[in-house]
Amino acid sequence: MANVLEIQNLSKKYPGGTQALDNLTLQVETGSIYGLLGPNGSGKTTTLGIVLDVLQASHGTFNWFGQPLTKETKRRVGAILETPNFYPYLSAYQNLKVAADVKNINPKEIEPVLQTVGLLPRRHSAFKEFSLGMKQRLALASALLGNPEVLVLDEPTNGLDPQGIAEVRELIMQVAAQGKTIIIASHLLDEVQKVCTHMAVLQAGKLKTAGSVDSILARHEQVIIATEQITEAMEYLSQLPQVQQIRPEKNQLILTLAEGFNSADLNRFLFSKGVVLSELSVRKKSLESQFLDIIKQSNQPPA
Amino acid sequence: MTSLILIEFRKLLPYRTFWVILFIYLTLLLLFVYGSSNITINGQQAGSDIYQFPGIWQKLTYIASYFNLLLGILLIILITDEYTFRTFRQQVIDGLFRSDLVLAKLFVVVFIGLVATSVLAILGLGFGIPNTSQVSVSLLLSGSMHLVYYFVQALGYMSIAVLFGFLIRKNGLAIICFLLYTKVIEPLIHWRLPDDTDKFFPMKVLSSLTPMPGQAVLDSITGPTISLSPQEAVLPAIAYIAVFYLLAYLLLKLRDL
Repeated sequence: MANVLEIQNLSKKYPGGTQALDNLTLQVETGSIYGLLGPNGSGKTTTLGIVLDVLQASHGTFNWFGQPLTKETKRRVGAILETPNFYPYLSAYQNLKVAADVKNINPKEIEPVLQTVGLLPRRHSAFKEFSLGMKQRLALASALLGNPEVLVLDEPTNGLDPQGIAEVRELIMQVAAQGKTIIIASHLLDEVQKVCTHMAVLQAGKLKTAGSVDSILARHEQVIIATEQITEAMEYLSQLPQVQQIRPEKNQLILTLAEGFNSADLNRFLFSKGVVLSELSVRKKSLESQFLDIIKQSNQPPA
Repeated sequence: MTSLILIEFRKLLPYRTFWVILFIYLTLLLLFVYGSSNITINGQQAGSDIYQFPGIWQKLTYIASYFNLLLGILLIILITDEYTFRTFRQQVIDGLFRSDLVLAKLFVVVFIGLVATSVLAILGLGFGIPNTSQVSVSLLLSGSMHLVYYFVQALGYMSIAVLFGFLIRKNGLAIICFLLYTKVIEPLIHWRLPDDTDKFFPMKVLSSLTPMPGQAVLDSITGPTISLSPQEAVLPAIAYIAVFYLLAYLLLKLRDL
């Protein structure tokens, strides 16, 4: 499948000397909902800032739809970066009119997007009178103007109340159902797990992992076993390189297995050694513990 | 191109600050022009003679040259606002390039320059016609070249302001630097340098476009000051305007938004 966005070896060093982004390479496939995940300051916004042309990369290249950046490609992407950016003294409608002119879009499309985000009744109010949630929704309306193929959202639910968050999530699902590609930067794991099909985890400007959400969730499954020969089992397993971690708990062992080595392999191995399991279950980690693991691993010096 | 102009109008016309500064500009100008008939020179009131064609154009543009600073401040506000509101950012995201941002502000400068020059033309006609005994079209137009010089001067002042706006990005600081440069730093440089050299400095070139009326009389008393004539100053002024815009573009190009 074609890629909407390709990023090659992107680096960014701010004038203050902070290495915000370090040799990032990733691809976003057409039709995916791509979550860019990472703690605050990990380089998510910097990455989006560069591909949206507001920040200058120190190194590396990127392209949209297989082409370098042009007015045409920019208009195929609707984006919000960090904060809603509007003229405070203009009304919602006037602000979107400016946006429509910049995007070269018929002003007739303004009212439908205002309707979509629920701001139509407030279209003549000045932007400065809006609550944070309304500002965020206006930004979303502006991004939706012109029905772009790709939506780039930086922390789209920031400042929204629970109902607002649910609405935005609903909206993202609706847009995605039309076959559009959505790129979301977020530090809210729950948000990513609920809506995203693919994700990349950034930390300190480096790419930690990338892939489909399912495959990342499936990685490093935990296997819980119980047996009457627990000391023997411990002994055999500690010699097995495919077992990365053993944690005894009550009369069970909680194991973390390496990729490519699953619970059936484990069972076969132990049985061949004469250890019989009375219980064996597989537990998938939540995205949260998965995420924390990814971040933690990189904090440790490489062995 | 036309959409860039349209976008600027959509932002400018509903903006109260724009109208307030325009109003202050007009009021100050009106006050000074009206008050200038009460100036006493050599014990004589200048009286209504001062409003007669063709001399009125030079006098008017000379007075107006002092209020160019206001137009410059307006431009700084318009540009630094876009940084504060982060709307430059959004527009670059939405489809513009950095060159469009600079070009759009050039349109604004030309537009405000035309407005200011039209205001002067109307004032000139309004004060001139009632105070000149025999008005003919050729008399009206004679000396009206000063309006063109004024237009170039206004563009020049606003272009320096544009550069300061893009350079400093914070409105208070940019305004202070703009005033410091135009009113303190360059005059200090002029003072240290021989006239032959400093006549080509930007502020001196711009002020040469609207020479003080009666400069010749003054020169005969204090000795000649060397500066370009308005005709000679037009080309260097336009060259400076081009340089300021080029620098503004390069700044924008090299930095993050």
